[in-house]
Amino acid sequence: MPGSRGRTGAVRTQSPSEDPPRAPRRRRRETSVLVAIIACVALVLVGSVFPIGAVLGTALSPQAWPRYVEFFTSSVDLRILWNTLALGVLVGLAGTAIGFLFAFVQARLDVPGKKVLHLIALMPVVSPPFAVATATIVLFGRRGLVTHELFGLEYDIYGLDGLVFVLSLSLFPVAYLGLLGMMHSLDPAMEEAAMTLGASRWRVFRTVMLPLLAPGLAGPFLLLFVEAIADLANPLVVSGDYTVLASRAYLAVTGEYDTTSAAVYSLILLVPSIGVFVAQRYWLGRKVRTTVTGRPSGTVHLITSWARWPVLALAVLVSLVIVALYGTVIVGGVTRVFGVDHTLTFTHLREVLLGVGQEALKDTTLLAAIATPIAGVFGLLIAWLAVRHLPRSGGWLDFAGTLGVAVPGTVLGIGYLLAYRPSRYVGDLEVLPGLVGGSAVAGGAVAIVLAYVVRSVPAGLRTGTAALSQLHPSLEEASKGLGAGPLRTFRTITLPLIRPALLTGLGYGFARCMTSLSTIILLVTPGTHIITSQILSAANTGRYGVAFAYCTVLTALVLAGFGIIRLLVGRTTTLHRVSGRYAR
Amino acid sequence: MTDDTRRGRLCLDRLTKAFTTQGREPVVAVDSVSLDVAPGEFITLLGPSGCGKTTTLRIVAGLEEASSGHVRLDGDAIDHLPPQRRPMAMVFQSYALFPHLTVSENIAYGLRTRRRGKDEMDSALRIALTSMNLVGLEHRSPHELSGGQQQRVALARALVVQPEVLLFDEPLSNLDAKLRGAMRAEIRRIQRRLGITSLYVTHDQDEAMTMSDRVVVMNKGRIEQAASPADIYFRPATVFVADFIGRANFIEIVPARVEAGSAAVNALGRDMTVAAHPEVRANAATYLMVRPETLSLTAAPEGGIGSVLRATFHGHSVDYEVETGAGTLAVTVPGPDPQRLLAEGTNVTVGIDPARAYVLVKS
Repeated sequence: MPGSRGRTGAVRTQSPSEDPPRAPRRRRRETSVLVAIIACVALVLVGSVFPIGAVLGTALSPQAWPRYVEFFTSSVDLRILWNTLALGVLVGLAGTAIGFLFAFVQARLDVPGKKVLHLIALMPVVSPPFAVATATIVLFGRRGLVTHELFGLEYDIYGLDGLVFVLSLSLFPVAYLGLLGMMHSLDPAMEEAAMTLGASRWRVFRTVMLPLLAPGLAGPFLLLFVEAIADLANPLVVSGDYTVLASRAYLAVTGEYDTTSAAVYSLILLVPSIGVFVAQRYWLGRKVRTTVTGRPSGTVHLITSWARWPVLALAVLVSLVIVALYGTVIVGGVTRVFGVDHTLTFTHLREVLLGVGQEALKDTTLLAAIATPIAGVFGLLIAWLAVRHLPRSGGWLDFAGTLGVAVPGTVLGIGYLLAYRPSRYVGDLEVLPGLVGGSAVAGGAVAIVLAYVVRSVPAGLRTGTAALSQLHPSLEEASKGLGAGPLRTFRTITLPLIRPALLTGLGYGFARCMTSLSTIILLVTPGTHIITSQILSAANTGRYGVAFAYCTVLTALVLAGFGIIRLLVGRTTTLHRVSGRYAR
Repeated sequence: MTDDTRRGRLCLDRLTKAFTTQGREPVVAVDSVSLDVAPGEFITLLGPSGCGKTTTLRIVAGLEEASSGHVRLDGDAIDHLPPQRRPMAMVFQSYALFPHLTVSENIAYGLRTRRRGKDEMDSALRIALTSMNLVGLEHRSPHELSGGQQQRVALARALVVQPEVLLFDEPLSNLDAKLRGAMRAEIRRIQRRLGITSLYVTHDQDEAMTMSDRVVVMNKGRIEQAASPADIYFRPATVFVADFIGRANFIEIVPARVEAGSAAVNALGRDMTVAAHPEVRANAATYLMVRPETLSLTAAPEGGIGSVLRATFHGHSVDYEVETGAGTLAVTVPGPDPQRLLAEGTNVTVGIDPARAYVLVKS
């Protein structure tokens, strides 16, 4: 459909006689579209662009210059940089490998229990940030139930090994889902062709499947790399004295009150994060290796030889570790001291549900419940504008909307501090009151909601973009041809058709809000209690039982949120394409 | 053609394939298909989509396991052999060229898996490149080739391993009409020269008719008829075959006498003796099959046996629908005379050429 995407919406104002093929021309936009554009631009400006600008402004101000000399000459600081990069690479490798293992078992092995493995692989998606880390310490730490009690080892989990372990297990589902999709989209005829040419299963894997997937491995690797170097929660719990940039920047703000240093660390952390993000978006996105021609045909041949058992065993081993970790979280929440005193107790749960934690549960859920629909609407709106109404500048809006996750949470948090803590004055007139801090508007809740929204918008944006790109513009054009305005068309035609995407976007968004820590921890005030920061303080003071109880309750809340969203938005209906032509 | 000392005799013995989906009736895709293919013979499996032709081919390739029945090659059952151990090669509908390998590497893939020596591999590769007109493209990636070139690489990749049986799964369906015609001739020429037994799946009857030694028409998992293209056309075994290949008129008749493969019938008011299917019996209602282009049409202002219901002008021919006492007949007049086009409503007589008609069983 050359050009049809770009010209959508122009139908009404263009007459055929003066319509040169695909000529770029300005056109009048409907007011409603204009309002939507302004709202989205305002959100990304206030939510991401200004704070990031504030970080850059501080990090590049003359006062900051000596800090760079210090950084690049100090062995301690260089060590931190090295630590961060090493962590990213190792987690990228390990997480991608685990993801590949699970995807391969799922897509290519003829073994029982694949559904169970799939569910286990998805568990980390909804889990709170400290669940895996805390459980890891309890199971595999210095006094760990497995390492110390079972094997009598004096193993020190704190440090790089612990971080790689925890982050790989927490982040691999992203790689798993991506690789699973890729394996499903491989043309089975490719493998069949190799087989009919005399290649054994192992040879097919080595010479056809692996090379075809190889370019696709870069995506998950880079994604995990970025997530790993941006992560703050796990380093705070299991890094020991292995300092990374994110935790160093966090310490600069909360321990040393040195925002200039924090901005400098942030900038250094931003470079690889944004670099990888941009590379992925503009370079990898275009180098996807696809099947050359023709319709995919043939059927997938599952591996039935003995070779499947060792592979399965490996996946089961990883699954057992995951199950053990989450089992520890659940059981640890209702035992006195897990690993030492296994008496059933509800003190931890009582503290969380009825005691100190009650406030946090209430506040977090309320703020997340406010932020989720806003994020969902804006995510879809940006997707809709970028795909349908802004053929040229849409890419920038989409980019700005995605910044919320592309930028490490700690950096965004520091940006909020720099941009919104002080009240803004023009002369003596206060034009913008401070948004961050205990004395700020609504006790700092506005900034937290804004951060939630910005961090969650990309989820809806991604699923929305994917859904809209699948939806042929002719459906919307038909609606416009029947006299409906763009917003009415969006509401009555587009939205119902991409409802599954909305559902997924909202679900992910809510989970992100409830479990996010890195940005929020810098914005919490005495007036706002956030579950994740409560878990951190519990874990850091060794009250693992309470931390576990929080994790369990938080997970339950997230799952309940999924249920409510499903109820409100409606069940996913299967829409059947009514069309004379097969669109692929 | 049927030289029994050569290798590559393929025998399908009552192949059956049932697909079972949980909670549903099993679907029988291939139903007791038996076929003997002589060494060097070119056989097409022809039928509408879902008739089981592709499944049959995939069973022969070893990509699908038969529920029952056997595949024999040169007398030996090969059912237990995985695809990589069968001396066959397959050309896929999507070509299935390996996108990460060059043209040469694609073609050499089968030679490498068979661990041929370097010299042997180089010379085989060179011959393949030359004979398939691919010289100069050795280092291209598949996606840098045109559809026709990709098709030739796929064919070269299959041929270079010198298989005993070549399998084709609708290999030309992704090409445009002109290229398809050229590739048909190309495939047939090479197959004849190398004398490789070939099984070719298609739903394009033109392809089947022009390429094959024998056409196997399949429907609902069963073989309707396996015969030469001419027999398939002029002596279809069933109504399905007659209807599927080209166009056909069926006139209900009751043969008065049947003997030695011919029947005495009366159709459109005329007595004639027509070739008949062996199962046709005297005094039982059955069909006389006549192709539209074998009928002749003459204007008969006084009487006649019918009238023109509709005339469709194509240029190179005119299609008439003629209302007669035996039903509506389709008549095609090739190379029409501009002075003698028949208007709708004209009274006409319809002439049957007994040599080109056939009596078949009513199924």
